Amino acid sequence: MSEKEGLKNNVREALANENLRGALGRFGDAYIGARENAYAGKDFQELRGQIAAIKGAAAQNMEELARRFAESARSRGAKVYRARTAQEARDYIKKLAEEKGVRKIVKSKSMASEEIHLNEYLNQHGMESVETDLGEWILQLSGQKPSHMVMPAIHMTRGEVADVFSEEVKRQLSSDIPELVRVAREQLRKKFLAAEMGISGANIAVAETGTIVIVTNEGNARLTTTLPPVHVAVVGMEKLVEKFADVKPILEALPRSATGQKITSYVTMITGPTPAAYPDGSVRDKELHIILLDNGRTSMQSDPVFKEALQCIRCASCLNVCPVFQLVGGHVYGHIYTGGIGTVLTAFFNGFQKASDIQNLCLGCERCKRYCPGNIDIPRLIRELRRRVVENNGLPGMPKFVLEKVLPNRKLFHNLIKTARAAQKPFQKGAMVRHLPMFLAGLTEGRSLPAIAEKPFRDIVLTGHRPPATGDQTKVGFFAGCLTDFVYPQLGEAVHKVLRHMGMRMTFPVEQTCCGVPAIYMGSRKAAAELARRNIAAFERDGVEHIITACPTCAHALKHQYVELLDTDPGWRKRAEYFAAKVTHFTAFVAEKSDNGELPGLQRGNMRITYHDSCHMKGCLGITEEPRALLSAAGLQLAEMEGSDRCCGFGGSYSIKFPEISRRILDKKLAAIEATGAQMLALDCPGCLLQLSGGLDSRGKALPVKHTAEILAQQIAGSGKS
Amino acid sequence: MGKKDIDRLYNVFKEQAEAVSARVYRVKDPRDAGRRLTQIFQELNVSNVITAQSDLLRECLGAADTGKVTVYAENLREHSEDAHLGLSEADLAIAETGTLVQDSTALEQRLVSTLPPVHVALVRTGRLVEHFVDALEQLNHERAELPGYIAFISGPSRTADIERVLTIGVHGPEQLHIIFVDRPGGEQVE
Repeated sequence: MSEKEGLKNNVREALANENLRGALGRFGDAYIGARENAYAGKDFQELRGQIAAIKGAAAQNMEELARRFAESARSRGAKVYRARTAQEARDYIKKLAEEKGVRKIVKSKSMASEEIHLNEYLNQHGMESVETDLGEWILQLSGQKPSHMVMPAIHMTRGEVADVFSEEVKRQLSSDIPELVRVAREQLRKKFLAAEMGISGANIAVAETGTIVIVTNEGNARLTTTLPPVHVAVVGMEKLVEKFADVKPILEALPRSATGQKITSYVTMITGPTPAAYPDGSVRDKELHIILLDNGRTSMQSDPVFKEALQCIRCASCLNVCPVFQLVGGHVYGHIYTGGIGTVLTAFFNGFQKASDIQNLCLGCERCKRYCPGNIDIPRLIRELRRRVVENNGLPGMPKFVLEKVLPNRKLFHNLIKTARAAQKPFQKGAMVRHLPMFLAGLTEGRSLPAIAEKPFRDIVLTGHRPPATGDQTKVGFFAGCLTDFVYPQLGEAVHKVLRHMGMRMTFPVEQTCCGVPAIYMGSRKAAAELARRNIAAFERDGVEHIITACPTCAHALKHQYVELLDTDPGWRKRAEYFAAKVTHFTAFVAEKSDNGELPGLQRGNMRITYHDSCHMKGCLGITEEPRALLSAAGLQLAEMEGSDRCCGFGGSYSIKFPEISRRILDKKLAAIEATGAQMLALDCPGCLLQLSGGLDSRGKALPVKHTAEILAQQIAGSGKS
Repeated sequence: MGKKDIDRLYNVFKEQAEAVSARVYRVKDPRDAGRRLTQIFQELNVSNVITAQSDLLRECLGAADTGKVTVYAENLREHSEDAHLGLSEADLAIAETGTLVQDSTALEQRLVSTLPPVHVALVRTGRLVEHFVDALEQLNHERAELPGYIAFISGPSRTADIERVLTIGVHGPEQLHIIFVDRPGGEQVE
């Protein structure tokens, strides 16, 4: 089985696992509120700015900090070993254990030790290395891998845990959780008392003082670092910070972002060896060995893009807010580090090839970016990973043809779409395509596809737009984007009507083409840059004052990604910057240009509506209040849905690559919409419009879904009420 | 710090610590602290106690009724496995999060607060600080070098590793009692 088929199988298995989805879903829902409460009174933006600065500087000076850490820790009596590879780290620990005659080892949770597969290695060499974190112990006994960085056994039920423990203690246990926890306490207490060596990780390592900081709730790290006379700490080099004062913002953010706690039950700061009780009854200083682990970190540090990933504090909030992770859990990622950041870390710690398939799981919703306390642009890192995979492996045949040959050739691209329109006729019923030939089956699962429009917006524009009768005739260029142009031309019509109502003149530079997002997400930077140049040139020729689009994904590309794409050419970069400065999403533009967010001269509506915050609208453009203000001012009553900013599952071609994941995310969204009892769903993204109206249609629901532009246009006098 | 400030910090501490399942009391002096200890011993049916050593601990224990209780102050490692209750003094208390701060370099400090199912911590009320950063500064200020083992303790040991259900008392104590003493050794809080 190829890696790709393996991934698809893993996804299918994960989706079939009700326990996993139940537990992850419940946690994901509770997490948002718990996190918010924990951050009450704190300025998250400021805090993550501080962390990014501290960790960014530390990554920059990683080698120097490692040297200083070693010096400080040694001056306090610790032994510090620099391990370049996983093998060096494993060998050091094995040799140390052999020298000391150690047979029994207790471990507290450490991702770094999992990364180097330490347990297996020690066990192979005749030592018993026991995980003492409850979740990790459950996994160790059942021979499974962690599915979440902070909650490793979240995929298992109490019944399964009872079975695993029953086998261990050789009697049948009930599935009562407090009872199971008590059994674990008793069993592991014996291990703690008998252990000759304790192995821990560290959450922070301070160069200035040689201190390691460990954060836990269960108290197992305190026992691991107190009872055995030898303590080994395995510390990834990215844990280094320069000063003791640097621990403060990290300790403030870590528990809040990880589990919604203000602080964990225990925070332990260890500087040099402290006394331990030896088997002969004496009490004297223990041996403290600190292993600074490189294993790919310095190569990450020397990478201009990926060094940002070293700002990660391993809170796993990017997993907790990821709509895909919530459905499939960590196992499908196939490695120790999971989710978005895990994909990037896996590429460096375990090899790019390993990460090349799992990066496909990212929907591109960019939700994780808003929550990351290290201020890491995870979606950008994943796009870069994708680009490099494509650079190494090349694009697969069909996407390669479309991206490199069709998209840059606007006329060919647009003619192909027209041909596709003719081909869809036999399958079409009403405005939705219901059945497609087999090879496109994934597309219609759980969602009807809209038909490609009879007349694309570009043809409508050529034949019939009049300038406004009044107003200052401000010249506004409209960027349609593929969905508005070819599937939803009525959105372009609505935009035109609203602008005309505002006394503005809309122009449509006809040389415009695809915004380039599909190419960016497929990892073809070359094709994306070419599309960027074409679009910029098209609008320059028209000499417009503003550039607006009704699609937040296009707006994000035009405003934020073109500059990055054309970065290497100073001339084009300047043009891209000038272009980007003019770009606004339609709805924010109307709100800005109208009276206190109210568009004058509208008939008042009275419908009960609910509003969906599209990922790229809220997350990338920061637009969330404006549509609500405009719609409310137009008389509509807003009933907020649960999780209005949760992804609808569209993600462009994602819904084709992983239709089952996309459909489950859609199900959740539709349930939230239905629960509001709204008579209409409002949104601001043609992609979400496609996903959500298709989802409703395929479930036989008649709830209308409208773009803000359409709603406003309908309420302009003379259009009939909504 | 005035009495009003102390009262405010104490109230914040109590609220925060109780939110993470600690039990918080405030007493006038070591004699009252002794009474509180006696009550805890009786309620929990405690027979073996291990204690770290400090002036405050000695005074408060001295005032408690230890008739039915064996108190070990030495060879703690040997007695810790069977102890029901561990007693220690915390150096500072952080109001913002209900956290105790303890220089735990001495092995005894760690044994009494990790192994027995119940941990009772005494704190001088005047040692309350508002924020985490205040505690770090005070530790730095009062000591020539950073202690070898600093413990921050917020509530008893907890886990949510099985089905995300919160369960109190895994590897560390199942109960944490915190007794604030306003006038340790009889002196007035400023």
